[in-house]
Amino acid sequence: MSSADDNKVTLTIDGREVTVPRGMTVLEAAKSIGIEIPTFCWHPKLKPVGACRMCYVEIEKMPKLAVSCATEAMPGMVVHTDSDLVKQGRRAVLEFILLNHPLDCPTCDKGGECDLQDLTFAHGIDDSQFDFNKYRFIRDKKSTFDDYRLGPEIIRNQNRCILCYKCVRSNKEVFGEYDLGAFQRGNITEIDTGPGQQVDSIYSGNLVEICPVGALTNTDWRYNIRVWKTQKVNSICQYCADGCNLTLWKDRQKIYRATSRRNDAIDEGWICNRGRYGYQIANAEGRLTVPLIKRGERQENATWDEAIELIARRFKEIKDKKGGVCIGGLAYPGLDSASLYAFSKLFRTILNSNNVDFRIDYKMLPEEPGDLYTQITSRKFSIAGIENSDVVLVIGSNLINEHPITNLRVRKVVTQKGAKLYTLNPFATKSGDISTDEIIYRAGTVEALINGLCVSIVEQKLASDTVDASKLATRVEPNTVAQAAKISGVEADRIVGLAQALGEAKHITLITGELLSTSITRDAITAAIMNLALLCGMAENGQIGFLSKYANSKGAEKLGVMPLLSDSLIAEMKTLWGGYPEQKGLGADRMILSAKKEEIDALFVMGSDPMLCYPDGQFVREGIEKLDFLVVADLFETRTTQMADVVLPLSSIAEMSGDFVNLEGTVQHFDQAIKPLGQSMPGYDICNKIASALKEPLFESVARMQPDIMRLLLREENPEIQRELREVKTSVEQASGEYTVPLFVVDQAHHFAHLTERSKSLSAFCSEAHLELSPSMAEKLHAETGTLIRVESEVGKVILPVIISEHIDNDVAVVTRNFSANPVNDLQMRKQRVDYVRLTRVEEK
Amino acid sequence: MNFIRTVIIALPKGFYTTLKHLFKKPVTRKYPYERREMAPRYRGKHYLERYDDGTERCVCCGLCAASCPADAIYMEGGETDNGERFAKVYEINLLRCIFCGFCEEACPEEAIFLGHEYEFSDDNRDSFIYTKEQMLANRPKEKPFKRIIRKVRRIF
Ligand code: SF4
Ligand code: SF4
Ligand code: SF4
Ligand code: SF4
Ligand code: FES
Repeated sequence: MSSADDNKVTLTIDGREVTVPRGMTVLEAAKSIGIEIPTFCWHPKLKPVGACRMCYVEIEKMPKLAVSCATEAMPGMVVHTDSDLVKQGRRAVLEFILLNHPLDCPTCDKGGECDLQDLTFAHGIDDSQFDFNKYRFIRDKKSTFDDYRLGPEIIRNQNRCILCYKCVRSNKEVFGEYDLGAFQRGNITEIDTGPGQQVDSIYSGNLVEICPVGALTNTDWRYNIRVWKTQKVNSICQYCADGCNLTLWKDRQKIYRATSRRNDAIDEGWICNRGRYGYQIANAEGRLTVPLIKRGERQENATWDEAIELIARRFKEIKDKKGGVCIGGLAYPGLDSASLYAFSKLFRTILNSNNVDFRIDYKMLPEEPGDLYTQITSRKFSIAGIENSDVVLVIGSNLINEHPITNLRVRKVVTQKGAKLYTLNPFATKSGDISTDEIIYRAGTVEALINGLCVSIVEQKLASDTVDASKLATRVEPNTVAQAAKISGVEADRIVGLAQALGEAKHITLITGELLSTSITRDAITAAIMNLALLCGMAENGQIGFLSKYANSKGAEKLGVMPLLSDSLIAEMKTLWGGYPEQKGLGADRMILSAKKEEIDALFVMGSDPMLCYPDGQFVREGIEKLDFLVVADLFETRTTQMADVVLPLSSIAEMSGDFVNLEGTVQHFDQAIKPLGQSMPGYDICNKIASALKEPLFESVARMQPDIMRLLLREENPEIQRELREVKTSVEQASGEYTVPLFVVDQAHHFAHLTERSKSLSAFCSEAHLELSPSMAEKLHAETGTLIRVESEVGKVILPVIISEHIDNDVAVVTRNFSANPVNDLQMRKQRVDYVRLTRVEEK
Repeated sequence: MNFIRTVIIALPKGFYTTLKHLFKKPVTRKYPYERREMAPRYRGKHYLERYDDGTERCVCCGLCAASCPADAIYMEGGETDNGERFAKVYEINLLRCIFCGFCEEACPEEAIFLGHEYEFSDDNRDSFIYTKEQMLANRPKEKPFKRIIRKVRRIF
């Protein structure tokens, strides 16, 4: 049955004929028909190395046993995977691997899920022909075994290592990290970091998961429990919009670890450390367990009934006196869909107010639902789809911190499929090491740069013919490459080069991140990007990802947890609820402004900490202080709960089941792992209790409400793309006076929102906010790592320790946000596009 | 005839048996004052072994709990000062335990044994949760030759 098709080969494995694509290995061919071959060093996502020899098979006409993981399937091969020779080979390999193995399974954390245990059990013999002393690594002299820390969370026991190199290979091939290597050789080969290095990248937890034996273990799981005593619960990560699939391992009321649950459409089996260690917040110290009511100056424990009764009474008073418009709601976009839906329904049907919002960290929200924005975001963007692209353009995003797993996909298409990556950022990021060109523009000039790109594409006659490009020059400002180059501080030939690459690309993925979405000129940037997309033909051949940030931002958008909704969504809600409030709603920013003007009297904050996250801390504080009544539901005590009149304990994601909508729009379900802690409740129950006390319940049971939620989540909004170039005029703000260094407030890789500080493992990586500076900038300030620097803006100041960046090389100040000890949002000004700061050294006395 | 068989012959026979036992060693024991030596493989209350230097043998591997058909063993692992694994909590619920001895069989560290003690009664249920400290204290004084036998056994 030799096929005429050149791309297929036919071979025989264990007497069965199989046809597979050319280039497949014998191992994969065997797997495809369900024949299992034992392996150690093979991994589906890594290139084969043939290090362990466990995968021996016998191939007729070959003189020796062959390693199936690295042998390509050839036409006419006759393979035996279970002959006596193969069995003998496997036994010998295992005997060799066990030469120096300590056989300390009883104390090893991998025991019970160890490949070496399983395969020795299945294929090995229970004796050894070698009877000399085993070679022992002991790095740490106080110990009787090797117990060496490679990084904050990873412990190595070299004696258990079988040298499959999976850790080192995945670290280099997939994560692009070079902090781990194999040193020495033979008996004394050692997996170790380079001198002075630590394994502390955001992906480092995967190395533990990929290790087939217990050579690498992590501190959270270490010695705590045996794997067979735990139950697995399917979960979804709550720390970014990628929506990685997780498995939580729990016993009784405690979660012991989280591992990846491979989903090739999203994570391909990798997760970042936020997902891996973030589960610890559920069992962390300091969770709120009972409602609190402020009496006088102090918040005192109360019962749910008292708290709900008080909330209902106050809301009713305010509503009767001044109408629902005087009540506002802020929800955390990392809550499950049911809670967000109930929140919106509570406000819109019971309180008769449109003041709901989830965008807690956006400066100056737009007034109207951005019609252009919807045109872009309602189009399909998929993480797996990045693999089709030959050019990836990342604008305004520190992708590795914002979306670690999307970043891996970008890495994959660049390093393994030869795509080109261009990054446009106001400061250099880690993506720079694989970028074809990493363009650093002057802070606040991204529209000018994009306009320059558009002009250059037209000039080079590379514009797509689906759009009338002749009008471009009259619609955009600046309208020459030279001017754009001058404004943005990027050399003209680099703009031209990028424009050429974009114009010639067959399929482009454009990704924008937080640095754009939270900017006040969001609309102009969106328009500029739309122009670029039209000119490059991305509408047909490509995808645009305005990546949402939080685990359920996309869900919140679809469920309408925003003040101003599109007409079709309003119509949908009217049919669901039979009514919809008339007045226009206020967005997060305006709510706080109105609170300051005493137009809003009560605020209900669910799960978020605006005092810490919202740009312009002073402004938020003033707004919140003027409120008559503040209700906050949260997991922990935060800056916002400290000011609240009523604090309600919220359940964590592990304590309920529900769903998240990831940045692609995929609805993913997670299961409940443990019971709600203390008296805490999921968000939807809280909303329902309040609604019942005010008027009528929102729902009988969550399951009954689910169809309504799904109807909104699965609803597709399909606005026509208007093929017309938009007007984009750039205005450039200049730094003024003594504040000259542009400030960027970003997320640290190991910290997300106000929550992950409470995870013990994550705080081992990063437990405080810091100021990241380029080496030259640090030198100017005579600062070294750890030096305290006073960062002052027109509105506030904080003192932060310096770290000297490996990437940044221009004069910017990058600070990490959301650490409760250092509220860097105090530095930001809500009306200013770029915040400028002054840096001075704190002199030690 | 009947009278002769049942009274004249049988009666003295009966008395004779009684009389005979009066001069024999009694089978019963004065239990609380006098205890019986159990068979060497008797399975009574558990005890935990220590190494000769006094450290606990148990490493909290969980195999005893895994093999326990009655699910009577509960443990929580911890880390000693020099980074080794030990059982922070180790409890056996004696009310659940069926004294099958599987835990002893399963233990790879020769840490848990079923001893010869069989006196369990108590007036509350809580005291049947047998803790690690109790089990360590319960370790019998080993006769010297037994220790030698155990050492020899360990070699093979
Ligand atoms: S540490 Fe683990 S993954 Fe790395 S080489 Fe050794 S056995 Fe393989
Ligand atoms: S990439 Fe995002 S979703 Fe995935 S594990 Fe990390 S934080 Fe969670
Ligand atoms: S003797 Fe049997 S039932 Fe009792 S604890 Fe040991 S294994 Fe469990
Ligand atoms: S008693 Fe033995 S089997 Fe049980 S946990 Fe301790 S070492 Fe393991
Ligand atoms: S799996 Fe083939 S050599 Fe390791």
